[in-house]
Amino acid sequence: MRRSFSLLSLSAVATFVFLYIPLLCVAAFSVNASKFGLDWGGFTWDWYRKLIHNEVILKAAFNTLFLGLVSTAISTVLGTLLAIGIYRFPWRRKSLTRLETLLHLPVVTPDIIFAVALVIAFSVIRHFTGLFELGMTSMIFGHIAFQISFVALTVKARLALIGTDIEEAACDLYASYPRVLTKVLLPMLAPGIMAGAMLAFTLSLDDFVISFFTSGPKSTTLPLLIYASVKRGVTPEIHALSTIIMLLTIVCVIALQKFTYQRQQQEKQ
Amino acid sequence: MREPHQSDPSRSKPKTKIILHNGEMMSRGTMRLRQALLISPGMLAIILLLVLPSLSLFVVSFLSRGDYGELVMTFTWDNFKRLAGHGFFGWSADNLVIIRRSIVMAFFTTLICIVLSYPLAFFLASRPQKTRMLWLTLLLVPFWTNLVIRTYAWLLALAPEMPLAKVLSLLGIIDADTPLYPGAFAVYLGMVSTFLPFVALPLYTAVEKLDWSLVEAAQDLYASRLRVFRTAILPQTMPGLSVGVILTFVPTMGMFVVPDMLGGSRTMLIGNLIQQQFGTSRDWPFGAAISLVLMILTLSAMLAMRRNPAPGVH
Amino acid sequence: MKTNQPNQSNSFKALALAGAFLASAFHLCAKEELNLYIWTEYLEPELIKEFETKYDCKVVESNFESNEEMLAKLQAGGSSQYDIVFPSDFIVPSMIKLGVLAQLDQSKLPELKNLSPQFKSPSFDPGNKFSAAYQWGTVGLVYNKTVFKEPLDSWNVLFKGEDSVRFSMFDSEREMIGVALSYLGHPLNSVDKNQLKAAADLMIAAKKRKGFKGFDANVSGIGKIKGKTLDVSVSYSGNAFAAMAEDENLGYSIPKEGSVVWCDSMCIPKDAPNKELAHKFINFILTAKIGAQLSNFTMFATPNAASIPMIDEETLKNPSVYPDEEAMKKLDFIKDAGPNTALFGEVWKMVKSR
Repeated sequence: MRRSFSLLSLSAVATFVFLYIPLLCVAAFSVNASKFGLDWGGFTWDWYRKLIHNEVILKAAFNTLFLGLVSTAISTVLGTLLAIGIYRFPWRRKSLTRLETLLHLPVVTPDIIFAVALVIAFSVIRHFTGLFELGMTSMIFGHIAFQISFVALTVKARLALIGTDIEEAACDLYASYPRVLTKVLLPMLAPGIMAGAMLAFTLSLDDFVISFFTSGPKSTTLPLLIYASVKRGVTPEIHALSTIIMLLTIVCVIALQKFTYQRQQQEKQ
Repeated sequence: MREPHQSDPSRSKPKTKIILHNGEMMSRGTMRLRQALLISPGMLAIILLLVLPSLSLFVVSFLSRGDYGELVMTFTWDNFKRLAGHGFFGWSADNLVIIRRSIVMAFFTTLICIVLSYPLAFFLASRPQKTRMLWLTLLLVPFWTNLVIRTYAWLLALAPEMPLAKVLSLLGIIDADTPLYPGAFAVYLGMVSTFLPFVALPLYTAVEKLDWSLVEAAQDLYASRLRVFRTAILPQTMPGLSVGVILTFVPTMGMFVVPDMLGGSRTMLIGNLIQQQFGTSRDWPFGAAISLVLMILTLSAMLAMRRNPAPGVH
Repeated sequence: MKTNQPNQSNSFKALALAGAFLASAFHLCAKEELNLYIWTEYLEPELIKEFETKYDCKVVESNFESNEEMLAKLQAGGSSQYDIVFPSDFIVPSMIKLGVLAQLDQSKLPELKNLSPQFKSPSFDPGNKFSAAYQWGTVGLVYNKTVFKEPLDSWNVLFKGEDSVRFSMFDSEREMIGVALSYLGHPLNSVDKNQLKAAADLMIAAKKRKGFKGFDANVSGIGKIKGKTLDVSVSYSGNAFAAMAEDENLGYSIPKEGSVVWCDSMCIPKDAPNKELAHKFINFILTAKIGAQLSNFTMFATPNAASIPMIDEETLKNPSVYPDEEAMKKLDFIKDAGPNTALFGEVWKMVKSR
């Protein structure tokens, strides 16, 4: 038994190494002073300094955040309402299955099909109404489309967890439904809503394919910018940008772990 | 969720049925209205942003492409014929090869991910609580790092000057000059490293809840290690495995970033073909046809998963 | 159970509102904007600043790497987001037929008269109704001189050369197919199916060679040669010469089998947001002094007759930049293929997907 375990451990650690090798390469080259090529030219923070002044990158960062925040805000609201509507009320079996299929559709559809369908639909609308130029608006819509389901599914999990007792108690006390919603249900759901919102936000920040197809000239996001730079010939500034993004990811993951751990401790009490 | 109760039969107004739902008394009509109001914004969004566009995709796949890349409203089966290989220059298996390559690549990527994820999941599950957080974080960080970054990072890691290539050439696996990319090998590396966490995380969740007594029982019965795995471990971890497989197999088929960056146009997948039609080739009808085929493949894969006799999988 | 969650959802909404506010503030404070959709590294930053100061506006540059990419973007709805696009000669007729270009108001372009005779009323746009020439140049091999001691004079290096040479092919449909056709001795604009199939097979065979490292568009091949990941690639003349000015290890040559000579123009998309400013920019570029400043930066050939006296002597004499009669014998313009355009698309698809 012990022998097989250490073989397992070896494989596991090797897998971790495999996952991290490329990321470490990027970090290493972000401080490499040579502009072209992979020879080591000396240690430097230059590329990070240049980043701060690079207008294009700053604009892309702004776009990414703006897109993330707006789409998350809208999709969280829609997704939460959707989850409550489906899972807190009785439905005929057929209706429920149909609703659930629709709900799961954005989750299982490959990104690219989603993206091209949107492009076609937008251009049809544009043909008849002149609206929906590819740009920030179309990107926001594209992101909302897949975020809603993820939010709804996360909230659904939370709904199942908290049960209906307290809502019933509030109703027994003659609270009106809107009141039940706002003062009782939503506060209890809040951790689930937060989790859903964070999931949606991260998915938006991370998204490449849908943004790629629905973006306009002035709505480049960071992933799009990095992709275009790699195609053109990657510069060390992009390595620096990527390393910063990775570090931010690490910070967020650790924060999230701590958050969920604390919450788990709280709920145990 | 409680079933709505019937109203008290002695009530004097038989028309409006009052029901009791979650502690509140209201008419069925009110309840239905509430349901409709709650789900309509979200459902409307999904219908408008996914279902209707998919329908337009379906329609466009039967239209024609004009001389200059514009959309022409003529019904035609041409796009599907071209997908089956009947192009300008006679019949060629190009597109079918691409489809087959995508399925094969998805299959092997998923397989490799599963093989690597089991040890990883067991390793994680066997860590003491203190360090488990750390290891989970280590697994989550690449998972949440942007796909584009993770993929182009391989471009760096696979460069001839880098240690990996040098080590491989020392071991005699490749010649000193052979580039590791662009090519299928690099694409596999990229795909596996992208999707590994998608399999490892659900699997870890399942392994964590594993009932070791079953495993011990199997061992007590002198079952070989393989048997133990097959009969005691595999069925219990099936839910997690299924989730991981779905999250990997389907997206891999539609992936285009990884083959685009690491495949150097030698390893074209369905995703690349679609992207090409909506990009430089400006052939939306053909692109729509390919997307439809991918959709069908996706749905088939999902159906195949569903028929998998795993307990409690949804 | 203690709950303080409503605050969090409120702060979310506040954040979103702040974001929207910032975005609209950005928009309000901005000056007039000129949106250019232009090839990478095709416009001197100094020139942009001069224009911005002169006309009190902001110039926003978006880049593309190939004509087909540009046209795809315009067709997908970019024609109302850009003020000026810079297409190559052969694609202008397609754009006119597709209706994505607006007619130029020649009364606003007094400097149009500066253009050399062959660029006034070119075959792809008689009367300069839709376009005004920007730069012209050639397509050729760009290579690392330390690897190739002798100047390269043949496309062989891509198709049949040594296996140890790391190369990439040009990621530009008409131009790369044209190169393959020329290598096989066929006309650049051939629409003969057999000849095209031969060209396709040639490129597919090249893809299978050991040294093949992918397709590179526009300037990325040069970047990779500088980064020592490639030995030879295909590029436009000006990009190569601009790079050679900074790195003497680079070389550029036009192979003997023949190559492409092209001319890029400035065009205004049909629904451009700021046509006034766009005309001002085109006129600005067409002035003698600015035309010379531009070409001295890009190292491409200028179509502006009035700028020629101000061009660097050495560059004027270089037949790779300004092809003389001898050089012109090997070069040909790519022509719009009309209804046969789709044929080239098919060939390119075949090449890219096998």
